[in-house]
Amino acid sequence: MSEVLRVRALTRHYPGDGSPVRAVDGVDLVIEQGEFVSVMGPSGCGKSTLLHLLGGLERPTAGELSIDGHRVERLSEAAWARLRRRTIGFLFQAFHLVDELTAVENVELPALLAGAPRRRARRAAMELLDRLEVGGRARHLPSRLSGGESQRVALARALINQPLLVLADEPTGNLDTHATGEILKLFADLRDTRRTLLVVTHDPRVAATADRLLSMRDGSIVEDTRLVGGPSRQAVLAQITGWEA
Amino acid sequence: MSLLTRLAWRSLRHRPWQALLLLFALCLSTTTLTLALAVSETADGAWDRVFAATKGAHVTLKARYAENVDPARREQLRAEQFAAQSTAPGVVAASGPWPLLFTTGEVGSTRMELRLQVRAATSSVVDQPLLVSGRWLDGGDGVVLEDGLATTMRVGPGGAVTIAGQRLPVRGTAMTMSIFRFPKEDPALIWISPAAAARLDPAAVEYGYDWIDLRLANPADAAIFAPAGTAGPEVNWDVETWQDRRAANRNELEVFGTALLIVGTMLAALTVSTAAVLVAWRVAAQTRQVGVLKAVGATPWQVTGALLVEYLAVAGLAVAVGLTAGTFVAPLLARSVRTLYGAPQAPPITWSRAAAATALALAVVLLATVRPALRGIRHSTLRSLTAAVRAPRRSSRLARFANRFGLPLLAELGLRTALRRPGRTLATTLGTALALAMVTSSLALDRKVREIRVTVSGSTDLNDVGKVDLYQELRAVVLVAAALLLALAVVNAIITAAFAARDSARNHAILRALGATPGQTVTALVIAQVAVCLLAGVIGIPLGVALFAAAGGGEAALSPTTYLAVILAATLLYALIVSIPARLLARPSIAPTLTYE
Repeated sequence: MSEVLRVRALTRHYPGDGSPVRAVDGVDLVIEQGEFVSVMGPSGCGKSTLLHLLGGLERPTAGELSIDGHRVERLSEAAWARLRRRTIGFLFQAFHLVDELTAVENVELPALLAGAPRRRARRAAMELLDRLEVGGRARHLPSRLSGGESQRVALARALINQPLLVLADEPTGNLDTHATGEILKLFADLRDTRRTLLVVTHDPRVAATADRLLSMRDGSIVEDTRLVGGPSRQAVLAQITGWEA
Repeated sequence: MSLLTRLAWRSLRHRPWQALLLLFALCLSTTTLTLALAVSETADGAWDRVFAATKGAHVTLKARYAENVDPARREQLRAEQFAAQSTAPGVVAASGPWPLLFTTGEVGSTRMELRLQVRAATSSVVDQPLLVSGRWLDGGDGVVLEDGLATTMRVGPGGAVTIAGQRLPVRGTAMTMSIFRFPKEDPALIWISPAAAARLDPAAVEYGYDWIDLRLANPADAAIFAPAGTAGPEVNWDVETWQDRRAANRNELEVFGTALLIVGTMLAALTVSTAAVLVAWRVAAQTRQVGVLKAVGATPWQVTGALLVEYLAVAGLAVAVGLTAGTFVAPLLARSVRTLYGAPQAPPITWSRAAAATALALAVVLLATVRPALRGIRHSTLRSLTAAVRAPRRSSRLARFANRFGLPLLAELGLRTALRRPGRTLATTLGTALALAMVTSSLALDRKVREIRVTVSGSTDLNDVGKVDLYQELRAVVLVAAALLLALAVVNAIITAAFAARDSARNHAILRALGATPGQTVTALVIAQVAVCLLAGVIGIPLGVALFAAAGGGEAALSPTTYLAVILAATLLYALIVSIPARLLARPSIAPTLTYE
C-alpha cells in the first residue's frame, strides 16, 4: 500500500498569556491509502487543529507534511487550494453548505472549481446525490434540508472529485441517532471502496467503524491502535472511553 | 446619566469610526442645505445695507421726451415734471432731475459705450451714491466711476478716462442702487458734473432721458406708484421700483442657491443610504448585545431608545457643524459674484434655517434607524444571542435568471450573496447612481461653458463676458458638489464593500476549503459589487442628463464615449475600493472562520 499522508513533528502553537498554547505538539503520523482512521480525545486536545493542518486550512508552526509523496507544508494559499480540489474532500460538523446554492449546486462546486464542464459536473453531482439517497432533494436550498440530508449532501460534495483523502471533523456532531446511523453506513461503504478517511470524532460508534484509532491528549498522539487484526473493537473502545465492552 | 444615555455613549465610544463616518455624511448634507438657504440672504443683507446708506430711491422715474420737444421746452418740462412728481401723494423726498447722456469712451484702455449721469456736487437727499474710494464730484473736471466699472476695468482715483474724446481725471468710485452693477448693467455709468458735461463735444454725446429719484412714505406702495399729473404726448415715463431691483440683484445668486438646493437634496438622499447601511452594520454588530440587554430585562423600546439617543447625538452635532459652516461659507460664495452689491457678510442664523437643517438630519437618522432597530428588537432574545444570519428559504428569481445566463460560478455566487440583502444593495445602487448623475451634470455644464466661450470668443459685448463668468462660477459650484457626492459615494462603497466582505466570509471560507484560490474569491466579491456599480451607471447617467435639462441647461451634448468613460472610470474606482476589504477577507487561514461559524 502507498502512503497517502506522512507527518513528522507537526506543530501548531498559538500565542497565549506568557507561554504559547501548544494545540498540536510534534505529531508524527503515517496513513496508508485505503485506511479509515479515527481520532479521539477530550475537547481542546488538538484533534480539529490537526485535521485543519492536514487539509491546509491552517498553517503549521513547524514540522513536515507530505500528501501523496509531495511536501506541502510550505505551499502558497493558491497552491493549497489547487491541491484540495483534486486530493482532499472535507466534511464538517456544521455541514458548511453554501446557503445560497441548492443541494446539487453545492455538490457540483468542487467539480466546477476543478474545471469540469457544467453539464458533466451536474450529471456527476446528481449521480452522487442519487447514490446517497438524497437525489429528490437536489433542487432544495440547505435551509430546507434536515441535518442528515445536509450531511449526505456535504459528503457527496466531498466525494465528487474522487479525492485521495477525505477529512471529516465531527461529521455526526449535529446529527440525531438515526442520521448518525445513516452516515456510519455510508462510511462503511467508503471503506469498501478503499478510500482513505480520517475522522475526528467524540462518538465511540463512529470510532468503532475505523481501522485505526488515534488518541490525542494535549496536542500529541498518545495512542495509535489498530482495530483490524488486533483486539476486538469493543474492547479497545471500552479501554479508551471507560465504557463497558 | 440615564441608562439610555449611558448605553448610547458606550456604544459610540466602542465604535468611533462608524459614528465619525455618519457624522461626516450628515455634516456634508446639513452644510450644503444651510449654504443653499443662506446664500440669497447674504446678498439681500448686502443690498439692504447699501440701499440704506445711499438713501436709495423707492421709485426711479425716467422721463423720455418726444423727438419734437426742443431743448428750451425740455428745460421747462423738466422743472414742471420734477415739481409735480416730488409733491405727488406719498412722496416724502425727491432728487433730480438728472440728465442722462449716452456716448462712447475709453476706460482702462477698453473702448466702450458709456452712460453719463449729470449730477450736482451737493449731496442728494435720495440716491446719493456711496463712495467706495476717492471723493465725490466737486463741480470741476473730475468724474466718479460706478464701482462695478472701476473694479472690472481696474481704474480708480488718480487714473483717467476718455469720454467723448475728452480726457478726464477719475475723482472716485461709488455705488448706487438705482442701476445694476457693471457688467450686468451695460453701458456702464459714470457721474459727471454739469460743468464737465458742458465741455464735451455735443456731436459725440446723445441726450437720453431725465432721471428722478423718489422716496415714499410707505415703501410697499412703490409697486402701485403712478407718475403724477398728465405728462401728455411730450413725455413718456419708465417706472422702476426698489423691489424689482432687489429681486433682480439676487437672481444670479439664486442660480447658485437652486444648484445648491438640488445638491443638498441629493446629498441628503445619499446620506440616508449611507446612514442606513451604517446603522444596519451597527445593529448587526450589536445584535448579540441587544440579546444580552433583553435577556437581563431591557424592554425592546429601551433598546430602540438607546439606539436613537446615539444617532440623535450624532445628528445634533451635524446640525451645529452644518449651520455654522454653511453660514460662514455663504458670503465667500456670494463674493465670487462680481455683479453683486456691497460686501456680502454672514447672515444671522435664523430659526427657519436651523429648523431645515435639523429636519434634514432628523429625517436621515429616523429613516435609517427605525427599520433596522425594529428588526433588531423583533427577533427573539435567543436568536439575538446566537446572532446567526438566517439562511435563505428560497433562491431569488434574479439569481435564477443569472444562472441561465451562464455566469461564472463564483460571480454568480457573489451576486446571490449580494441579493440576500436587497435593501442594502438598492441603497448602494441609488447612492452611486446619484453621484454618477452629478458627475454627468457637471460634465455637461463644463461642455456648455466651452461652447459659450467659443460663441462669444472675440465678442466685445460685456454681457457675453458676464454670461461666461456666471457659468464658470456655476460650474465651480457643480464640480465641488460632484466631488462632495463622490466623496460620500466612496464612503458608501467602502461601507458596503466591508459589509459584503463580512457577509461573504463564511461562503468564501467554504469555497477555499473546496479548492477556490484566494484570487478567485476576491474576484467573486469584486464582480458582484461591480455589477451594482454598472446598474448605478445605467440609472445615474440618464438621471444626470435629465437633471441638467431640468436645471435649464438644455440638452447635454456629451458624446457616447464620454458616457462610456464615466461608467468605466466609476467601475474601476469601485472595483479598487471593493478589492480592499475583499483582499483582507482572503486572509491565509480559513479554519477560524469555519470554526467560529
